[in-house]
Amino acid sequence: MSNKYIALPKGISEKTFDSAIADFRSVLGDAAVFTSAQQLAPYIKTMMPVPDSDHAPSAALMATTVEEIQKIVGICNRYKVPIWTISTGKNLGYGSAAPAERGQVVLDLKRMNRILEVDKDLAYALVEPGVTYKQLYDYIAEHKLGLWLSMPAPSAIAGPVGNTLDRGVGYTPYGEHFLFACGMEVVLANGEVLRTGMGSMPNSNTWQVFKWGYGPYLDGIFTQSNYGIVTKFGFWLMPAPPAFKPFVIQYENEEDIVEIVEIIRPLRISGVIPNAVVIAHALYEAPVKARRSDYVTGPGSIPDAAVRKLAKDHHLGIWNVYAALYGTQEQIDLNWKIVTQAFGKSGKAKILTEREVGDDPAFKYRAALMRGDMTLQEFSLYNWRGGGGSMWFAPVSQARGSETLKQMALTKQILAKYGLDYSGEFIVGMRDMHHIVDVLYDKTDPGQVKAAYQCFDELLTIFSAQGYGTYRVNTAFMDKVAETYGPVQRQVHKTLKKALDPNGILAPGKSGIR
Amino acid sequence: MRKTNPVRTVTALMLSMSVAAAMMADIACAAAETNADKGFRWRDGVEVYSKVCGYCHGGQVGPRILGRELPPEYIRAIVRNGSRAMPPFRPSEIDDESLAKLAEYIQRN
Ligand SMILES: Cc1cc2nc3c(=O)[nH]c(=O)nc-3n(C[C@H](O)[C@H](O)[C@H](O)COP(=O)(O)OP(=O)(O)OC[C@H]3O[C@@H](n4cnc5c(N)ncnc54)[C@H](O)[C@@H]3O)c2cc1C
Repeated sequence: MSNKYIALPKGISEKTFDSAIADFRSVLGDAAVFTSAQQLAPYIKTMMPVPDSDHAPSAALMATTVEEIQKIVGICNRYKVPIWTISTGKNLGYGSAAPAERGQVVLDLKRMNRILEVDKDLAYALVEPGVTYKQLYDYIAEHKLGLWLSMPAPSAIAGPVGNTLDRGVGYTPYGEHFLFACGMEVVLANGEVLRTGMGSMPNSNTWQVFKWGYGPYLDGIFTQSNYGIVTKFGFWLMPAPPAFKPFVIQYENEEDIVEIVEIIRPLRISGVIPNAVVIAHALYEAPVKARRSDYVTGPGSIPDAAVRKLAKDHHLGIWNVYAALYGTQEQIDLNWKIVTQAFGKSGKAKILTEREVGDDPAFKYRAALMRGDMTLQEFSLYNWRGGGGSMWFAPVSQARGSETLKQMALTKQILAKYGLDYSGEFIVGMRDMHHIVDVLYDKTDPGQVKAAYQCFDELLTIFSAQGYGTYRVNTAFMDKVAETYGPVQRQVHKTLKKALDPNGILAPGKSGIR
Repeated sequence: MRKTNPVRTVTALMLSMSVAAAMMADIACAAAETNADKGFRWRDGVEVYSKVCGYCHGGQVGPRILGRELPPEYIRAIVRNGSRAMPPFRPSEIDDESLAKLAEYIQRN
C-alpha cells in the first residue's frame, strides 16, 4: 500500500504512478495536480451507502484547454492510468465528484469555464464543461438575450454539460435535456478531437443548429458513456415566452395518480402542456415545509396516516401536479380552459395558481424551476432523514395511469421493508415518465447504511424482473443496472469501448462499460 | 467574460472558431485555444456567498451562517469537506483565494 498516495489505480505500481504524476505536472503545473488527502477531500464525499474509500481517487487534474487534455490522454495511454472526467462535478445522489472505481484519477474540467457563444436569434449556446447554469443565467441576463434555461433542481451549482451528458432532466418545455443538445467537441482516447454533426465540416456554421450531420449520429454514444471527453457542448435555449402561468393540481389519494396520468398524457403529447410536468408525492414536497420528527419517531417508514395528516397540516396534496403554460396571454387563456376542463371533470382535483399559492414555499421553487430560475430549495429533502445519505432510484415508466400506480406501490412496499420512506415523483415526458425516488437515509447510522444498500439492490432486482429499466444510476450500482439490459447491449458497448479506447483509460466502469 | 463587450466576444469567437475549423484535419488545432483566462472568476466573498452559499444558508434549507462570527478556518474546512448533506466544493469551483475572501465575509457579516 502506498503512503504517498491515498489510493492507486488498479494494477498500477507506485513507481509507475510517480512517473505519470510527474508527467501530468509537467503539462499542467504543480498547482493543477492534486494528490494529498487534504487536496482530494472534496472529490471523496459521496451520498452512497458504501465506504467513501471505495471511490477515493488517486489524484485530481485540473485541465483548462483541449490541448492539455490531449496531452493528458497521451500520458494515460502510456502508463495505462484511468481518468474519470467531471465537468461541474455535482452529480449528487449519482456518485458526486468521485470516480466509479477506487484509484481512478479525476479529470476536473470545472475551470474550463468559458461561455463561447450565445446566439440570440437562433437561440443556442456553446459552452465549455465548467460553465454552471448560474454563470450562463447571469450572462444571459446581463446581455439581455431574452432566453430561458432548463435546469435540474441543483441549478446554481450544476452545469449543462455534465447534466446533459448524464442525460439529466429539467422542468421547462426543454426539460428532456439531451433532446435539445446540438453538437459536441470530444477529445477521443487517442488524442484526436472530434466535432460531432455539422461540426466535423470545415467552415460550417450549422454546428449548433442541425443535430444530425451526415452518416451515423454519434452524439448519443458520448452520453452516459466513457468513449470520449467532451470539451465543448452546444444546446438550444428557449426564447422567453411573453407570458408564463405555473399551477399546481392537488389530489388527495395515492390511487388518484391513475386519473392524473390519464388526463396529463394527451395534454402533454398534444403540447397543450408543454413542459416536463412533475407529479410529486407529498413526501417529496414535505421537507420544504415540515419536519419528519414532528410526525413520526423511532425506526420504520412513515405510516400513511401520518402522511395524510402532514399533507393536511401543510396544504399539500398526496399528489401535487406541477405544470405551466407558456406563450402569449391569448394562448395561455385558451389552454388554461382546456386544462381546467380536463381536470375539473371528476371533482377530485384542486387547481391552484400563483394567485392562491404564490407564497407557498413548495409552489415557489417549483415555479422557479419551470421557468429556469435559480433555486436550491429542493435540497430540503436532506433534512428529512438527516445524515446526508441519498441515492436516486430512477426507473422509467410508461405515461399510463395503471403503470404509475403499480410502480409507486411496488417502490413503497420495498422501501417500507427496509424502514425507508417513499420520497417519490414522476417527471412526465410525452410518452414516458422518469419515476424519481430519493432513497434517503442517514449515512452516519451504520444500520441505515446497510438497509439503504440492500433496499436499493432489491429495488433494482425486482423492477428489472418486471421489465422496468432504470434510466440512470449511482456509481455503486452501474454494473448491476448494465446487467439488467441484457448481454447483447453490454457486448456492443464493450466492442465500441475496445475500438475507441483500447487501453481502457477513460472512466472504466461508467454505465458498467470497461 | 462578465466585463467583455458581447459583440467583440462573439466576433473573436467566430474568428477563433473558423481558424479552428480550418485546421480541423490537424489535431493540433486545439493549440489555438489557450485563452482560458477569459473564463469566469469570482469577484469577492459576497459574490460567492450570494451565488452559491446563500441559496441554502440564506433560506430554510441549511443553517444560517451569517451573523455567527464563524471562524474562517471552520468555514474553509466545511466548504472543502462538506458536512452531512452539504456537498464539498472543490478549488476548481471556489479557488483558495476566493474561499479566503468568502470566509472573511461570512465571519464579518
Ligand atoms: C436535491 C437534488 C435534486 C436533483 N435534481 C435533479 C434534477 O432535477 N434533474 C437531474 O437531472 N438531476 C438532478 N439531480 C442530480 C444531479 O445533481 C444533477 O443531475 C447534476 O446536474 C449533475 O451534476 P453536474 O451537472 O455537475 O454534472 P457532472 O457531475 O459534472 O457530470 C455528470 C457525469 O457526466 C459525465 N461527464 C461529465 N463531464 C463529462 C465530460 N466533459 N466528458 C465526458 N463525460 C462527462 C461523468 O460521468 C459525470 O459523472 C439532483 C440532485 C440533488 C441533490
